[in-house]
Amino acid sequence: MIPTVSASGLSLRYGGTRALDDVSLRLTPGVTGLLGPNGAGKTTLLRVLATAVPADRGAFTVLGHDPSTSRGRQEVRRALGYLPQSPGFHPDFTAFEFVDYVAILKELTDRTARHREVRRVLEEVDLGDVRGRRIKKLSGGMRQRVALAAALVGDPGFLVLDEPTVGLDPEQRMRFRELIAHAGEGRTVLLSTHQTEDVAMLCHRVLVMAAGTIRFDGTPAELTERAAGRVWSSTERAPGAKAGWRTGTGTFRNVGDPPPGADLLEPTLEDGYLLTLDGAGAEVAA
Amino acid sequence: MSAVMEATAPPVATDEKRRGRAAVLALARFEARELLLQIPVALTLVFYVGYTLYGLLFPEDGMDAYPALQDVDRATQSGPSVLLGIALLVCVNRAALRSRRRGTDRHFDVLVMEPWRRTVAHALSVVPYAVGTALVVLGAFTWQALRPGAVGHGSVAELAVAPLFVLFCGVLGLLIARLFPAVFAAPVLVILLFAVSVFVSASTGDAEWSRWLSPIVSENSNETLPSDLIGRPAAWHALYLVGLVLLFVTGAVFAGHGGRRTWPVKAALAGTLVLTLTGAVGQGQGVSPELTAAREKASTHPEKDQTCVRHGRSEYCAFPEWTVRTGTWAGVVDRVQNLAGGSAAEQPLVVRQRVEARYGLDGDGTIESSTTPHQVTVGTRWGGNRIPEFASAVASALVAGDEAKGGELCDGRVVTVMWLAVGGASDPLSDFRHVRLDDSTSGSAIVLSPTSPLSMSAGQTDVVREVLSSRPRAEVTSAVKSHWDELTAPGVKTADVARVLGVEAPKEADDCVGE
Repeated sequence: MIPTVSASGLSLRYGGTRALDDVSLRLTPGVTGLLGPNGAGKTTLLRVLATAVPADRGAFTVLGHDPSTSRGRQEVRRALGYLPQSPGFHPDFTAFEFVDYVAILKELTDRTARHREVRRVLEEVDLGDVRGRRIKKLSGGMRQRVALAAALVGDPGFLVLDEPTVGLDPEQRMRFRELIAHAGEGRTVLLSTHQTEDVAMLCHRVLVMAAGTIRFDGTPAELTERAAGRVWSSTERAPGAKAGWRTGTGTFRNVGDPPPGADLLEPTLEDGYLLTLDGAGAEVAA
Repeated sequence: MSAVMEATAPPVATDEKRRGRAAVLALARFEARELLLQIPVALTLVFYVGYTLYGLLFPEDGMDAYPALQDVDRATQSGPSVLLGIALLVCVNRAALRSRRRGTDRHFDVLVMEPWRRTVAHALSVVPYAVGTALVVLGAFTWQALRPGAVGHGSVAELAVAPLFVLFCGVLGLLIARLFPAVFAAPVLVILLFAVSVFVSASTGDAEWSRWLSPIVSENSNETLPSDLIGRPAAWHALYLVGLVLLFVTGAVFAGHGGRRTWPVKAALAGTLVLTLTGAVGQGQGVSPELTAAREKASTHPEKDQTCVRHGRSEYCAFPEWTVRTGTWAGVVDRVQNLAGGSAAEQPLVVRQRVEARYGLDGDGTIESSTTPHQVTVGTRWGGNRIPEFASAVASALVAGDEAKGGELCDGRVVTVMWLAVGGASDPLSDFRHVRLDDSTSGSAIVLSPTSPLSMSAGQTDVVREVLSSRPRAEVTSAVKSHWDELTAPGVKTADVARVLGVEAPKEADDCVGE
């Protein structure tokens, strides 16, 4: 399959910090999850791919366009839908006006067609009924859907979503997952998240980043498989576990190298993720 | 064998440019509509249009009914359009800072339209307001020009100032947003600019070059001058404003967030700076020797510039722009002379329009009374109080022989003059009130005229008021005609005049009796 995004050797330094270190990847249609602890370089990678910041080294293409040239960058931006982390809004705009504004900035110039497209994406994110309401009057979940609509307007081939479910309640998060899954039909979506459930439910592929590098690139099942035979239950905290926590039943769930005869448990994607990080910033509450 | 090469522009690039331009225009439309939704802009716009319409649909009587178009054009620059400009300055500034204030920069910066194009769109969003202002200005001016009493010529450059000022304010707000991206910067800088302009104006003694640096330049004088004597460098000033507008737009594109510093932008910046400086130098040259000479000639020897027209027995000499008004003057002269007796009723007069143009529009100079027998001065403004003022000048010349002597009257002839001046008016008491400086009908007062004023004592005022309010006009007219020699004799007492006119004599004597 021809990749939508193809990157090789992307590196970027912020002062003395290596934010990206020789990152190479290929993204194909469908939803790809990007997991990693805080400071892993996820947002930096998304911003490089979204052409917000240039990489120091390396190259990438989006739908065959090379953003290192002015024209190529414009073509990449035409093909791009971007939902940044903590997106800003113009609170006095209505939902329709805000998405229309973004559509204009995407150079959708035919007024009738643009308005039709804006209505379409607002319907797609289930905001058709409140499109005339000012953004300051919308709930947090609704605002996030406005931001998703803004990313979707113009039907971009490559959608970059930076932690879109942060701050949403479980119901809103579930609704958002549906929308992302729908958005991933027929286009390439790169979804950065801290939520392993999001990846488990949405993604056909997952990347795990830590310290500016890609630590894992495979399917969610493969990531889960990494923890096979390395998750066990115990009545006391296991001293050799890389992570362990008391569950609701009062027993401890441990991840690491189990002692002989341990009561092994079915691994989850999160277990695989924790083992992949292997101390590279995993924060687990005991 | 030959090869044919077709040189055509790459279609993709052309399409991109066209789409880019269309997107900028679409964003400009969007931003213009957003501006309209801002309360300051909406309120000032409604106020501006409403104020102008009200003034046109419900004009006050008086001088407004006789507009001089060389004043009307300048009048469009002041008033509510200034408020609209200030509102646009603030709101365009806020709109240009919106993305920064609301944290959408990170998002919008990866969209197709580059930040510098967004800056251009913000500048273009002001254009509809400038066009709207131009339409209001044009409508108001056309309305005035079509009034039957209109005279003179307007200047396109003067008419352009209000729309250019609106543009100027909008793009200034934009430039401030790009140079100092903080919401408080615009009001602070505007206050600072105002303070600097006041300081420069004061420290340069209101010199011509510094006075014209302000976008709107008002005048101290209410004088109406012939168009060619006004001497305002309106065209240069319009060029200066156009230069400033383009300079600010280019500067905003060049500067700050999303700055674009390619060589065409640098060249445009230099070009607009040259344009602005050219306008500034052109407008700051002051009054030319030719204009000074023309003003001198018009003030001291107006007959050299005037056209004379005969109406009835009298001759009316006016500057070319006012010749259409001589018939109106003749109506007033006839009305006054119809009340006179003796030879005065048939006396040919020369009504000459005079101006004091030597100070330009810097101040209101007074016109000295004419010593030429039976010559009456008429000014450049008409309507309202100017009509009884002119009538009193005509009456003075008929009674005293010339204007200078008329201004010195202090005996009972003052009553005769005032009767002639206002006795034939449709509302004599109203004219009597308005021709007096303090708008009173009792006590002593100054009576205005185009040249030297006339003084009335309290007793003379009482007599005139009683004659106008209690005596039938026909009887008074008859008495004046039959006792003309007595009523116009030097030294005649006010008491004797009162007796002839059939009202009670004042108790106090005339101020000048016995001198």
